Amino acid sequence: MTSGADTRTGPYLELFAGRGAGGPVGARRQQAIERFEAAGFPGSRDEEWRQTNLGPILRARPVPASGGALGEGGALPFLYPDCDRMVFVNGRYAPAASSPPEGVTAFSLADPAGAGADLLAEHLGASVDGRASCSADAGVHPFAALNTALFEDGVALGIPAGTALERPIQVLWLSAPSADAAAAEGGAPASIEVSFPRLLVVAGENSQAAVIETFAAADPAAGGYFVCPAAEFVCGAGSVVRHTRLQADAAGAFHLGFQHARVDRSAAFDSSSLAFGGALVRNDTVALLDGEGADCTLDGLYVLDGSQFTGNHMRVEHRQPHTTSHQLYKGVLDGQARSVFNGRIYVHQAAQKTDAKQTNRNLLLSKAALANSNPQLEIFADDVRCTHGSTIGRLDEEALFYLRARGIGFEEAHGMLVHAFAREVTDKATFEPLRRDLEARLFASLNGGRSNGQDG
Amino acid sequence: MLRVKDLHAKVEEQEILKGVDLEVRAGEVHAVMGPNGSGKSTLAQVLAGKEDYEVTAGSLELDGEDLQEMAPEERAHAGLFLAFQYPVEIPGVGNSYFLKAAVNANRKARGEAELDAMDFLKLLRERAGLVEVDEALLRRPVNEGFSGGEKKRNEILQMAVLEPRLAVLDETDSGLDIDALKTVAAGVNALRAENRAFVVITHYQRLLNYIVPDHVHVLLDGRIVRSGGSELAHELEEKGYGGFDGARAEA
Ligand SMILES: Nc1ncnc2c1ncn2[C@@H]1O[C@H](COP(=O)(O)OP(=O)(O)O)[C@@H](O)[C@H]1O
Ligand SMILES: [Mg+2]
Repeated sequence: MTSGADTRTGPYLELFAGRGAGGPVGARRQQAIERFEAAGFPGSRDEEWRQTNLGPILRARPVPASGGALGEGGALPFLYPDCDRMVFVNGRYAPAASSPPEGVTAFSLADPAGAGADLLAEHLGASVDGRASCSADAGVHPFAALNTALFEDGVALGIPAGTALERPIQVLWLSAPSADAAAAEGGAPASIEVSFPRLLVVAGENSQAAVIETFAAADPAAGGYFVCPAAEFVCGAGSVVRHTRLQADAAGAFHLGFQHARVDRSAAFDSSSLAFGGALVRNDTVALLDGEGADCTLDGLYVLDGSQFTGNHMRVEHRQPHTTSHQLYKGVLDGQARSVFNGRIYVHQAAQKTDAKQTNRNLLLSKAALANSNPQLEIFADDVRCTHGSTIGRLDEEALFYLRARGIGFEEAHGMLVHAFAREVTDKATFEPLRRDLEARLFASLNGGRSNGQDG
Repeated sequence: MLRVKDLHAKVEEQEILKGVDLEVRAGEVHAVMGPNGSGKSTLAQVLAGKEDYEVTAGSLELDGEDLQEMAPEERAHAGLFLAFQYPVEIPGVGNSYFLKAAVNANRKARGEAELDAMDFLKLLRERAGLVEVDEALLRRPVNEGFSGGEKKRNEILQMAVLEPRLAVLDETDSGLDIDALKTVAAGVNALRAENRAFVVITHYQRLLNYIVPDHVHVLLDGRIVRSGGSELAHELEEKGYGGFDGARAEA
């Protein structure tokens, strides 16, 4: 189906032609679009993409998100107190709503200068163009390449060596599609507004930072938009980077994200992904443990209902000795929701004493919900400890009866048990405003998701 | 208060209860004794509304209301409490959070004001002291990793906090050492009241030394084969259940 791929890539190549390859990262953009064009969109025989139905996205004509349609205070509901923040609307920086951190090289990618330009030259796109790409068989990530070629704006954060940031930095990616883009024909929109949020975090040696990314829609009922974000983390030796990715897009949104972390000697990268919104959502995470003693923790929660689809594709590479990784992904699925968890742990021959653990647990609340879980271990070192486990189960009927026998109504008992399942992930949020927000979103999606009373 | 008439119940196509009659009045304590597998827990679970058990004949009434028409939580609201033989572990749900949710769900259903955090804590502390439940257990997830004895005490704590009108205790004594047994019995005795009744299901006579019943029933193979006063428990202790097989054969 290579000829099919050509017609599907055309509109995206046109977007690039319209924008051109100028600016500080022009050469890199050019290279990315060439790679994208050569690779094309994944076909149904592509193992990594087989279970993701890209049809609804690729059938629609992409138009650049128009931007600017954010009224005064439109970002407020999504902003946390006690944070530094950078706000983007439809992929464009909104300086009036932002308060960038001090002492940090933070700037919009559209207008880098001085230290910023150096940061970009060294790091931006390294994970996409091959300088720091995954070894082995990872290939080109088509959407990461598209993002590099087409991102409008974005944020780069350079945390100086030895600096520990006191406050989290919140990066809000707000989508505010224009109303006419949402007009749907035969289930799939005729056109979709597309934006390419781009984040680069470069943590200097022994620095510490917390970054919270929030993906949301100004109007939760909005549809017909496509967010295609990419995030890169360069964690210098001894640094500690905490990252949260809250995906709370509108119900009809498409979201295909890519994130990449390179973790140096004795550094720790801790990333939580919480997915509540969107119709078709996927998040691909690559973590390279690239120095002795490097550690990563990757947690996730997806709470789905209706016909939502969410895929999480993880690739953790242990490339040096004494590296550790912990993954805990949990899913709650109601309605006809579907999920895919593809977790791959790749242990290179040099990576002796690797300690890797991967867990994926799914809770199905309806008969029609479907969870796929595919853990994969590829181990080329002989002295390692790698474990993985996955479960797909239903609510514990005995526990439900026990709660009800104490007078707690069906709905409340049900909610308590689902919450008990999910909080293992949400409780890890140490920043109190974030934790409370996650709790609230969890409860909202549980209540929205329950339709029947008695026999669930 | 409780009226069970000719109750037949089956599970997975197997008839377990084969015509049970039981009448409990306010202020009374009834003991139901019987060997393993005779249907004691089935009776308790049917009363509480477990859906796995199908009532095929007979009736169940609490204060004249048909229990079969009521969901498990509605039975609790009406004042029924079951202390489970095997309390369920619920990871991720804190014990005191659970108790507060239970207390307030019942209060709400009865049209009473919900207790705030302070008032609830006061109540919880007082009742935990009564049944000697360590406060550390209140902070842990419900029953998770509790010892057998801790689970049973936790059941009694729930009873003490919820103040039911009719409490059914399913082998709350099994697996308890003598001190724990005394504490549990003291908890029950402290709650004994004119307007409250107990059905104490047990395998051994031992508990009945501390909770003296008004009536004792012997359940054998899904039927109550004999009823009597507290002296019946002592007779059982001496003769075992073997003697009652004959009694049933004659009946
Ligand atoms: N959920 C169930 N599924 C299948 N059989 C059951 C179930 N519950 C009880 N039984 C059977 O019913 C009979 C009575 O059990 P039970 O009521 O637990 O007795 P007791 O509490 O007196 O020991 C036993 O033979 C038991 O195996
Ligand atoms: Mg039993």
